[in-house]
Amino acid sequence: MTGPYRAPDQHGLTPQGRGRFPGFDVLDEVHRWDMVTAGVVLARLAPPVELSFFSLAENACAVALMDLLLGQDCEPRVPVVALIDARLAADETDGWHYDDMPRDRDAWRRSLAALDEDADDLAGRPFAELAREDQAALLQQVQQLGADGSPWRGLRAEHVWGLWTRYGCTAFYSHPWAWNEMGFPGPAYPRGYKNRGVDARERFEVADSFDRDPVPFAQRVERARARHAELVRRRLGHDERPGDHEPGGGSAA
Amino acid sequence: MRGPDYASIRARNDSAWLLPNDGDRAQHRLRDDMRRHDEDDEVDLVVIGAGAGGSVLTQRLARAGWKVVCLDAGPFWDPDRDWVSDERGSHRLYWTEPRQIGGTDPVPLGSNNSGRGVGGSMVHFAGYVPRFHPSDFRTRTADGVGADWPIAYTDLRPYYEQIEQELPVAGQPWPWGDPHDYPHHAHPVGGNGDVFLRGAAAAGIEARVGPVAITNGRFGNRPHCIYRGFCLQGCKVDAKASPLITHVPDALAHGAEIRARCHVSKILVDDATGLATGVTYLHDGLEHRQRARAVAVAGYSIETPRLLLLSASRRFPEGLCNDHDQVGRYLMVQGAPQTAGRFDSEVRMYKAPPPEVSSEAFYETDPTKPYKRGWSIQTVSPLPITWSEHVTAQGHWGEVLREYMRDYIHWSTLGALCEFLPQPDNRVTLADEKDRHGLPVAHFSYSRCDNDRQLMAAAQASMETILRAAGAQEVMTVQRYAHLVGGARMARRPEDGVVDADLRSFAVPNLYVTDGSVLPTQGSANPALTIMSLAARAADRMIAAARTGLVDAERTR
Repeated sequence: MTGPYRAPDQHGLTPQGRGRFPGFDVLDEVHRWDMVTAGVVLARLAPPVELSFFSLAENACAVALMDLLLGQDCEPRVPVVALIDARLAADETDGWHYDDMPRDRDAWRRSLAALDEDADDLAGRPFAELAREDQAALLQQVQQLGADGSPWRGLRAEHVWGLWTRYGCTAFYSHPWAWNEMGFPGPAYPRGYKNRGVDARERFEVADSFDRDPVPFAQRVERARARHAELVRRRLGHDERPGDHEPGGGSAA
Repeated sequence: MRGPDYASIRARNDSAWLLPNDGDRAQHRLRDDMRRHDEDDEVDLVVIGAGAGGSVLTQRLARAGWKVVCLDAGPFWDPDRDWVSDERGSHRLYWTEPRQIGGTDPVPLGSNNSGRGVGGSMVHFAGYVPRFHPSDFRTRTADGVGADWPIAYTDLRPYYEQIEQELPVAGQPWPWGDPHDYPHHAHPVGGNGDVFLRGAAAAGIEARVGPVAITNGRFGNRPHCIYRGFCLQGCKVDAKASPLITHVPDALAHGAEIRARCHVSKILVDDATGLATGVTYLHDGLEHRQRARAVAVAGYSIETPRLLLLSASRRFPEGLCNDHDQVGRYLMVQGAPQTAGRFDSEVRMYKAPPPEVSSEAFYETDPTKPYKRGWSIQTVSPLPITWSEHVTAQGHWGEVLREYMRDYIHWSTLGALCEFLPQPDNRVTLADEKDRHGLPVAHFSYSRCDNDRQLMAAAQASMETILRAAGAQEVMTVQRYAHLVGGARMARRPEDGVVDADLRSFAVPNLYVTDGSVLPTQGSANPALTIMSLAARAADRMIAAARTGLVDAERTR
C-alpha cells in the first residue's frame, strides 16, 4: 500500500471502537483518490486548532451536547465540536434559516445558553457539569417540546433540535472514522466502482461482520433503544445519584 | 430507439466535442480566449444566471450571432480543481447567501435545490431528466386544479427532443405521457435500482431504467460514467450533464462572454421609454454596469423574483413587472418523501449514480381517488450525511442513531415527487434582513394544501409497497421537498402572470425570464429538462422576432 505514512495504531479506527467491519479502513485507498478530495478529507484528521467561534463555556456545553446526540461516550471521539466551531467561524451556513430563528451563529449561541439556563434551574450548575443522565433528560425534554411544536426559552424547540442534529451529523459523518464504522468507502474518484449490485463487493470493501456480533439488526436496534430509554428515563429534579458530580458525566452507561 | 445523429447535434451544439480530450475536465483554452465586451458596449443581450435556462439561451443566441454577456454570481467551475468526491466538501456548490424560510411548511433551500456558479443547480442535480406529460399543460381544464399553460405539450416537444440529444439522455423506451425513446441505452443498475425493479415487478407496478442525463458510452469528448455515486456533488468525470459542459463550451466558441462572480443587484429600466437598458452588478465588492438592448433573467425561483422586486423604479414602485402583484407568487416545490427499506443483503446504494430507476405509474389523476394529480417514484441513494437526516427524522439520537447509521449498507432508498399545487400565497418577498452586499434577502413562505398532504401520504404508501414487495423487513420515511419552480409564471394575460408564452415580460418589452420560475405547474417530473427546453424555445422566438425588430412593443404576440 502506498500513501501518506500512518502510525500503526492509527489503522482502522472507528469512533469509540464500535463498528461492524473489522479491519476496514477507507484511508487504505487514499492513494487512489484525486488530490483535491484527499486534501479535503485528510484535513479532518488534523489536530483541532484553538477555538475560533465558541467561548470556552460554550464549547464545554456544546461538547456535552454533541457527545450525547452522537453517542460518543469514550475515546476515540470524532472532534465534532471543533469541526462545528470552524464551520461557524467561517459562517458556512446551509443557505437558509427559519424566519422565527436568528441566523445560525446566533442560534447556536442562544441555544447553548438556553441549555445552561435549563441546567442552572435544575441543579444550579452549567449543562456540562451535570450528570450524563440529567443532560440526557434535558435533551429529551427539548426534543419533546419540538415534537409538540412548542417554544423553548424563546426559540422554536423543533428548529433548535434540527440545527443541532444537522450540524452534528454533518460533522460526524464527514469523518473517515465514521465511514469505517459503517462500511462506506468514501471518495471514489477516479477509481469508480466495478462490482455493483446486491451483495457485490469491491476488493477493498469488507463484509458486514455477522460473526463478531451475531445478533439480527432488529435485536441490535432493540438493545440500543433499551439502553437509550434507560439513559433518558430519569425524571428531572429527582434525587442525585452517585457520579452526579463527576464533571462532564464522562462515565459510560 | 432513435440512433444518435451526431452531425445534426453538432450543427446545433458542438459542446461535447469542444471539451478537451486529454483528461482535463475544463475547456481552459476556450475560457482564456473568451470574447470580452466593454461595459459601455451596448450588447444585444445580458443574461443573468448561467444555469439550465440562462446557459441554453446564451448558447442559442450566441450561435445566432447575438452579442451576449452572461453574468453569474458564482465561480466558473473547473471540475478537476474545484469539486471533490466528498459530501461535506461540496458545500460551495450551493447557494449559501442568507435566505429566510417561513409559512406553515417551510422549505429548506441550499443543497436541496439551489445552485451557484456556471452550470447552476444542474451541477449538483441528481441527473433525472423526465419530460412533463401532455396533461401537465392543462390541469385547470382537465382536473380543475392548478393552471393551464399558454402553450401545449406539442409546442415543447421538438425542444425536448433537441435537448435530450444534447445532454444526452440514457434510458429505456418510455411508456408514460407522450411515449418516446432516448438517444442512449439505459445504464446497468446497482443494488438500489435492482431492489426497485424487483419490488415494483412483485407489486405489479411498472418501472423503467432512466431517464438520466449521464452518458452511456462516449459522447464527443465526454467520457463514460464510472458509477462513483457522487452525482449530487458535481460530476468530476464530465459524464453527468450540466450546462457547464453541455452548452457553455459552444456558447464561448460562438462569442458569448460568461462573466463569473458577478452578482446582479438591479435591472435598469428607463422610466421614460419603459425599456430595460442593462444591469448593475457587484464584482469583488465594486459596482459595475453593463448596458444592453435586452435583458433575460435566469436566476431561478428565489433569486429571479427577488431581483425583480429589488429593481423597483419610479415607473414600477412595487417591483419590476409587478403591476399585478404576480412577482414571487405561485412558487412551487414538489413533495418529496423518501422511504428506505432494510434488507439482510448488502445493498450498498452508494455504488452507482443515485438516479437509476423511475416509475410514472402514479403520475396522472386517478378518478377513483379523492385527490387530483399524482406522483413519480425514483431511486435516490443518499450518502452518509444525507442518510443521517433519514435517521434523525425518526427522532433517533445517541446510541440508536449510531446503530441505524452503522447499518447503512443494508438499506435501499426510494424518493417520490408529488405534484404540489400552485398557490398565490406560496411566494417570495423581500425580508428586512440584508445580505453582505447590503441588499434585502429573499423570504420564501410555503404552506401545503389538503391535496398536497393526501398526495404525500399516498406516495409514501406506494413506496412502502414496493420495498415490502422486494423483501424489506423495516421501512422508514422522511418528509422532504424537492425542486423549485414558479415565482414569475407564464400566462395568457398580465393579470395572471409575469411573462407571456415566449417568456417575454408583459410589463417591459425587452425583458425576459428564462428559468424555472416561469412554470405555471410542475407535474411530478424533475424540472431541468423542461427549463432547458423552454429556454431553447424562447431563443427561437427571440431570433425570429429580431428579424422584425426586437424591441417592437407593438409586436403581435
